[in-house]
Amino acid sequence: MAVDVGQPRVPAWQRGKVASWLVTVDHKRIGILYIGTAGFFLAIAGFLALLIRTQLAQPDGAVVTGDSYNEVVTMHGTGMVFFVMVPVLAGLGNFLVPLMIGAPDMAFPRLNALSYWLYAFAGLVYCFSFLAAGGAANTGWTAYPPLSLAALGNGQDLWILSIHILTLSSMAGAINFIVTIHNMRTAGMSWMRLPLFVWSIEIYAWLLLLVLPVLSAGLTLLLLERQFPDTFQFFRPEDVAAGGSPVLFQHVFWFFGHPEVYIMVLPVFGIISEVIPVFARKPIFGYKAVAFSTVAIGFFSMLVWAHHMFTVGMPTYLNIWFMLASMVIAVPTGMKIFNWLATLWRGNISLDTPMLFALGFLSVFTMGGLSGIYLAAFPVDWQVHDTYFVVAHFHYVLFGGSMLGLLGGLFYWWPKIFGRMLSERIGKWTFLFVFVGFNLTFFPQHMLGLLGMPRRIYTYRDDGLWHAYNLLSTVGSYVMTVGFLLFLLAIVKSVNGRRAGNDPWQADTLEWYTTSPPPPHNFDDVPYVTSARPLYDLRRRLREAEAT
Amino acid sequence: MPARVRHRALIVVGALVAPLAFAATALAGNGGFAPLAPQSPNAEGIQQSYLFISAFAFAIFLLVEGILIAFVIRYRRRKRPRNMDGAQIHGATKLELAWTVGPVLILFVIAAFVFAKLPTIQDVPAAAAGSENLVVDVTGTQFTWEFRYPNGVVTIDRLRAPQGRTVELRITAPEWDVIHSWWIPALGGKMDAIPGTVNKTWFEAERAGVFQGQCAELCGLYHAKMLASVEVVPASEFDAWYDERRAQQEAGTSTLGEELYEGSCAKCHGLQGEGGYGLRIAGTQLVSDEQAIETLLRRGGILMPPVGRDWGQTEMNALTAYLKENLGG
Ligand SMILES: [Cu+2]
Ligand SMILES: [Cu+2]
Repeated sequence: MAVDVGQPRVPAWQRGKVASWLVTVDHKRIGILYIGTAGFFLAIAGFLALLIRTQLAQPDGAVVTGDSYNEVVTMHGTGMVFFVMVPVLAGLGNFLVPLMIGAPDMAFPRLNALSYWLYAFAGLVYCFSFLAAGGAANTGWTAYPPLSLAALGNGQDLWILSIHILTLSSMAGAINFIVTIHNMRTAGMSWMRLPLFVWSIEIYAWLLLLVLPVLSAGLTLLLLERQFPDTFQFFRPEDVAAGGSPVLFQHVFWFFGHPEVYIMVLPVFGIISEVIPVFARKPIFGYKAVAFSTVAIGFFSMLVWAHHMFTVGMPTYLNIWFMLASMVIAVPTGMKIFNWLATLWRGNISLDTPMLFALGFLSVFTMGGLSGIYLAAFPVDWQVHDTYFVVAHFHYVLFGGSMLGLLGGLFYWWPKIFGRMLSERIGKWTFLFVFVGFNLTFFPQHMLGLLGMPRRIYTYRDDGLWHAYNLLSTVGSYVMTVGFLLFLLAIVKSVNGRRAGNDPWQADTLEWYTTSPPPPHNFDDVPYVTSARPLYDLRRRLREAEAT
Repeated sequence: MPARVRHRALIVVGALVAPLAFAATALAGNGGFAPLAPQSPNAEGIQQSYLFISAFAFAIFLLVEGILIAFVIRYRRRKRPRNMDGAQIHGATKLELAWTVGPVLILFVIAAFVFAKLPTIQDVPAAAAGSENLVVDVTGTQFTWEFRYPNGVVTIDRLRAPQGRTVELRITAPEWDVIHSWWIPALGGKMDAIPGTVNKTWFEAERAGVFQGQCAELCGLYHAKMLASVEVVPASEFDAWYDERRAQQEAGTSTLGEELYEGSCAKCHGLQGEGGYGLRIAGTQLVSDEQAIETLLRRGGILMPPVGRDWGQTEMNALTAYLKENLGG
């Protein structure tokens, strides 16, 4: 192939196998780096989860000490939220958004690379914080003061530092997504023809942009007060007259923390909205409703934060406001669920692995949504707050929801990303183990919470039922682990897997128009987009042309 | 209906009914399918709200899972070609409106019910004539609960309360401590013990018994061991104990010293002072030196929180006496 005149010349040292990845500004390679790094952190945070479950298999488990248990819990939560879910979605979005909107790359390729490397650096700080004097942070992923102010050693400071760096990464990434989606859509792709996954990334990016600075501010204050306790008293109650209050931090944290849940869930809604229509051979039922409900969820998610704080003794009118606002979110979420169900109606459903995960998502996410109603009703929350009921609830949302949907998305787009199919046979076993293991792990935790077991305890009263449910949960976590190992096996085997071709699923969106994997410039040409399903239109036109 | 479909339908119905039956039996015995059997009107109100929400949640759950399973079975591909189109339906505004308005109505009903129950959960009942409410100050510190009664009686980790009388709790934590959360499931919801703030909650136990609970907010190393219990006794028995305990406390013969030791010291230094997370103290010179103990308890050490910073002389004396007597060399 002749050298393009417009192509910048690549110096020799950047062409090596490793070097080319280190200097890459290609959105696809950056996407793969993101996904791979997130996989690494999934292994770490997942291992910590197994430690938790193994410790709790017995009432007086001695796998870890009470001291390190608090570190394990903290780093598991922090790892899964900040270093697995948010970045892996950034990675998937990175790979897919330009392809789905028919663009050659992200708007700012070098900023994009910076985002990734900041994430990698933040991850390094996260890893090394285990070596800090006094160990890693041990005050929960929520890091409430005064506990986080009193924490000894530097684990907490490194924790703050790593999240600060990660925040910069996510902010740069979010700006990049927004500029790309607003400016680089191909001819004909109006907002109402935008793939629903891209819609969800748009809202994901806006939420990151709006709430991350608030977290950064809060953590900066925390860091200042930790380092200069005589000068700053933002969260220390000893100076209430000066406005210091430990509850203030909770407001700041959850103003970020609740939208963060949707940051981790909305893109997965997007995945589901792509997968279900393709495997049901139907258009999404109510495109506008699905797109606008994403916007609505994003908006309302910023008005409900204090439903995490019903036990701090807020005035009743505030409790009522946060209860009603939280319930309002259930409406657009319910809309989505029913729209997805209706998409199945009169379809031609193929139960391939991506679809199995999407349907699994639908069945368990519903459960997570419903248990959320109990938490929104604040008097009931007084009973279940900070117990295993809450742990069960948010794992139904973030694992049953985000993780299952994400696995479905990976099975769906893997052929596009690497040009090879993941084994369907191993894929179905993966689904079975992960799905069954997940429910076995987290369903009994609802009961534990109602029986009175608080979260974040390393030992518990030897009450027959507590032990039984905990043991069940631990067994489930190992079943789930087998599922993830199977996924790893599928990945390893895919190296020699079946070649995918451009469009193995006969899908609807533009990423399937180009080769698998796509060339560096993505497309030689992009068809004019006439609906939200450009490839469906293309196939129909071809059929009609053949017929005449 | 062909036999095969009927067979599958049967499986589906079975799969839906089985958990229902299981849930029903478990609810009767309360295997964790509802909050612990309530023993106080506020816990009762929460329980009713929980069950009310459950009715709707369960119905919606069955509806969604039922539709999901039915559609997957009914519209699966079978022998049709993989890429054959399904019905190209793009939406139905009326239907979508229905499943927007429907949930709004359900949520409205739920909110109305919860608000109707709110007064019985939140508002402290006014004291009946002749028996005033018992007001107890509850203070959470790492990793123990202190209860201070109006007559000066102090107990640790176990709150004694009269049956049938309203007990108001004023919950806080010292300004130098961290956040804890007070929670006895059978006696109502939890309430955070926040340094520098006083939160209020209450209960009115309907029957005698010991009700367990524990701190519900991560508060550090021994959060898991920050247990609490409420021992409800008949009112007359309570009154007798109340006066007796006060007299004992003044005479220095109460069990306060032992309670303080078990609550504040033993979690780190061991029940016999043999050491653990903290140093071994049994038989050391320190335990016989009242002055040194008091200084240490009030100021704290490098790793040791100043557990006794806010103690009165009663508590200090009770503990130093206990230490000297039981752990002295
Ligand atoms: Cu929330
Ligand atoms: Cu605690």
